[in-house]
Amino acid sequence: MRGGRLRDGLVLAALILYALPFFWQVLTSVRPDAELLPLSHLLPSRLTAVHYEVVLRQSLMPRALLNSLGVALASTGLAVGLGALAAYALARLPVPGRGLILLGMIAATAFPQIATVSPLYLLVRALGLRDTWLALILANASFALPLVIWLLAGFIREIPRALEEAAAVDGAGRLAALRFVVAPLVAPGMASAALLAFLFSWNEFLFAYSFTATEASRTVPVALALFPGVFEVPWGDIAAASLLASLPPILIVVGFQRYLVRGLLAGALRE
Amino acid sequence: MSDRRLGWLMLAPALVLLGGLTVYPALWVIWLSLHYRVPVFSISRWAGLAHYAFLVVDTRFWNAAGVTALFTVASVALECGLGLSMALGLWGQRRARRAAVALLLLAWALPSVVTAKMFEWLYHPAGGLVNFLLGGRPVNWLGDPVLALPALIGADVWRTTPFVALLCYARLLTIPGELYEAAEVDGAAGVQAFTRITWPLVRPILLVALLFRTLDALRAFDLMFVLTGGGPAGSTETLTVYAYRALFQTLQVGFGSAVGVVVFALVMVVAVGYLRMIHRQEAGA
Amino acid sequence: MAPRPARAAAALAVLLVLLAGGCHERPPADGPITLVFKHAKILGPADPVPGLLRRFEAEHPGVRVQSEALTWSSDEQHQFYVINLEGGSPPFDVMMLDVIWVPEFARAGWILDLTARVPAAERDAHFASAIEPAVQDGRLWALPWFMNVGLLYYRKDLLAKYGLAPPESYEELVRQVRVVQAGERDSRLDGYLWQGKQYEGGMVNVLEALWANGTRLLDERGRPFPEPERAREALAFMRSLIENGVSPAWVTAADEELTRRPFGDGRAIFLRGWPYALDLFELPDSRVRGRVGVAPMPRLPHGRVGAASTGGAHLAVSARTRHAALAVELVRFLTGDAAQRAMTEGAALRPSRPALYRDAGLIARDPTLPALLPLILAGHPRPITPYYLMLSTTLQPEFSAVLVGRKSPARAIRDGTAQVLHLQEALTR
Repeated sequence: MRGGRLRDGLVLAALILYALPFFWQVLTSVRPDAELLPLSHLLPSRLTAVHYEVVLRQSLMPRALLNSLGVALASTGLAVGLGALAAYALARLPVPGRGLILLGMIAATAFPQIATVSPLYLLVRALGLRDTWLALILANASFALPLVIWLLAGFIREIPRALEEAAAVDGAGRLAALRFVVAPLVAPGMASAALLAFLFSWNEFLFAYSFTATEASRTVPVALALFPGVFEVPWGDIAAASLLASLPPILIVVGFQRYLVRGLLAGALRE
Repeated sequence: MSDRRLGWLMLAPALVLLGGLTVYPALWVIWLSLHYRVPVFSISRWAGLAHYAFLVVDTRFWNAAGVTALFTVASVALECGLGLSMALGLWGQRRARRAAVALLLLAWALPSVVTAKMFEWLYHPAGGLVNFLLGGRPVNWLGDPVLALPALIGADVWRTTPFVALLCYARLLTIPGELYEAAEVDGAAGVQAFTRITWPLVRPILLVALLFRTLDALRAFDLMFVLTGGGPAGSTETLTVYAYRALFQTLQVGFGSAVGVVVFALVMVVAVGYLRMIHRQEAGA
Repeated sequence: MAPRPARAAAALAVLLVLLAGGCHERPPADGPITLVFKHAKILGPADPVPGLLRRFEAEHPGVRVQSEALTWSSDEQHQFYVINLEGGSPPFDVMMLDVIWVPEFARAGWILDLTARVPAAERDAHFASAIEPAVQDGRLWALPWFMNVGLLYYRKDLLAKYGLAPPESYEELVRQVRVVQAGERDSRLDGYLWQGKQYEGGMVNVLEALWANGTRLLDERGRPFPEPERAREALAFMRSLIENGVSPAWVTAADEELTRRPFGDGRAIFLRGWPYALDLFELPDSRVRGRVGVAPMPRLPHGRVGAASTGGAHLAVSARTRHAALAVELVRFLTGDAAQRAMTEGAALRPSRPALYRDAGLIARDPTLPALLPLILAGHPRPITPYYLMLSTTLQPEFSAVLVGRKSPARAIRDGTAQVLHLQEALTR
């Protein structure tokens, strides 16, 4: 439990080793083609940016990044927007059957995507929504919504009712109380929910793979999975593409760690 | 406006979205599984329980069920063991905590397709780091029907252990230090401190992690699909991959839905068990 | 953090903007008539297609042909086609199809009936085994573009060195591999390379083995494995090739290119491949230049020699095209005598017209043509059914399990039969 600098350093070193697959991929993305296969030395003799050039100039990744960004932002906005409203209703308002609805939400977080992908595919096909952002936005938002509602309902319940009632008594009315009392307090929780929803949508593969056909409409995971290679697989290019695909998750883990951790723990520790 | 009315208004949009895209498809997939449905050839006929009757005798289904079970049990067991160890190691970290957690969560946050491609490269017979570290032996990890599943499990454990570790770590942080000081005074330290104090307090959260992870492992699709495609020869074909192949490769929407419903039922059984356990804990606590 | 209603409004605004931006792109409506021709990259030394398309444009002023490439993998091409044709308004007019997809696309109503637009004489100018798979319910749905047949490639020099003639039976092939390997004492010299990966190419190899042993996948009534014992023998033989080291273990993950290259580097005695490889072996910088021969596929105890799979590409017209007459003309042009002649001269493609194999001019450039003609005539198309691909993807895992040693041939046949019967339950109307 108590530790010195050495111990902390060792733990950090162990974690760096744990993340080794990731760092190896970074190294692969700057290793010249000739030194990829077969692997003869751990460190490359020189670094090259050619893989990134190929990915950014000649591949579908830039378009895929745009698609992923648009879909993720919109589905996060939709999920958190609708989810916040629903969470407040379930946490605070006397909606009949809300216990059952909340239970249903929890059960819905366990729904397997593989079960709903076939009816959703038929629906997307029937409505002509294949290759559109709309199909993915709706599918991702609806899949993230139960978790978002469950998380936010928990956060809202943590806010003492007295605060809201005090604001309402001051003549503000419920909506004003919402705006000035509840919203600021639940904002960090919404940030956590938004980060989780964004990560889910960014990483989502099955729906994106099944609902898109053309190259131009692919999201990042699909573009990466279908990265073209005529005869031999271009491992360096794939590594570069992988790293570009990982930028938002890395940003979130490094920059927004506090909110992310809070969101992850809230779902598990509260119950 | 009454509170009740406001409540319904605020709840309605979410319920509409969920109703249309989660509940309705969940019911529809069951309906689909009772039909012969091949949209490409405009085939749509009632089948009753024919697909389910076939699954009972379908060796490929039982193979997939076995792979799913093996994958789930091995993955979850390793994750919980490894995760707890990592949490214990991380506990008491003073400096660079944010960096430590960032390194830990990186594996969890990466898209599963990125992880799949990463490990596909690591396991490459000629260019992979794994074989290099093993002295250059050309082991064909993903092409050998015996090695492919352990290789897949390794990749999945790497990806999801951080979640378990984080959960345990957060729990460990809430344990007051006085408990251990008191135990030391009583002469109990080290292993005894662990078994008497740490373990009972960490166990509930480990169970929660276990159940979350079991549900995730049963539903897992991306990693095995991109890493091995279910091969070689079905040795990594889980129920989800089998369902996907039936749906989108052989275009049997009715049959594929039936396999999907089986996954659905399996996951729901586990989830309901989990909910019951929570209620029992809450009632008792 | 902004107050909640404002956030919701902002999110909605973002949503609407993204919806507007994320829709389909539609091609411009005015301008010259543009036909979109979807085809796979032509393997081989040169690509003759652009030249041919320019010739067509010259002969049809006001018409532009836009060539669009497909992915390299046959399975991905099929996926692309299915998804786009299902969607209702495919963005192409003429498409290159693998011969095995024609009945499927015809049954699904995605391609144009060419029967009335192609005179009988033109039909008969192609190989019967190429026309047969393109006919469904008595109607013609596609025209053959180029022809393929499975070949046994062998190293002339190595066989001659040990006084061996190309093997007529697989038993003989195995014996020859042992003789040559013992004599050469080169650990890097593999015996027999073939495609055993779990994909359509692997299926072709299995079918050829079944036919080599005098049995087939489906009988006339469509029932699977009519002679299970012969099928079992064939599968067991394929597995034994790996177990006995005649073929290296990695063939179970190999496709055409992964096997062609080692053979082209001189590291194998026999190779099962398509005709395109021959041109690549005869390139000036090829290590096996002048040392490669082709022979008919060997037989197993109960079958005949030369039971190879025919294959190749066909051209079809999308049923939703807005320029049907022009598109059909493009198809007839590209499958015509002149175009196929140009393709044979320029690329590693073999024509689907028997007459061209006896053409003096072409033979002068490619002396292997006369040898290929009987091989093609002896070949066999894969089962002609709209459900061939479903059949193939259902059985591929079973065969793959046998090849990697995970299942016994008998069990694979039993399980495969059950799966096919279940599949057929859905398909019978």
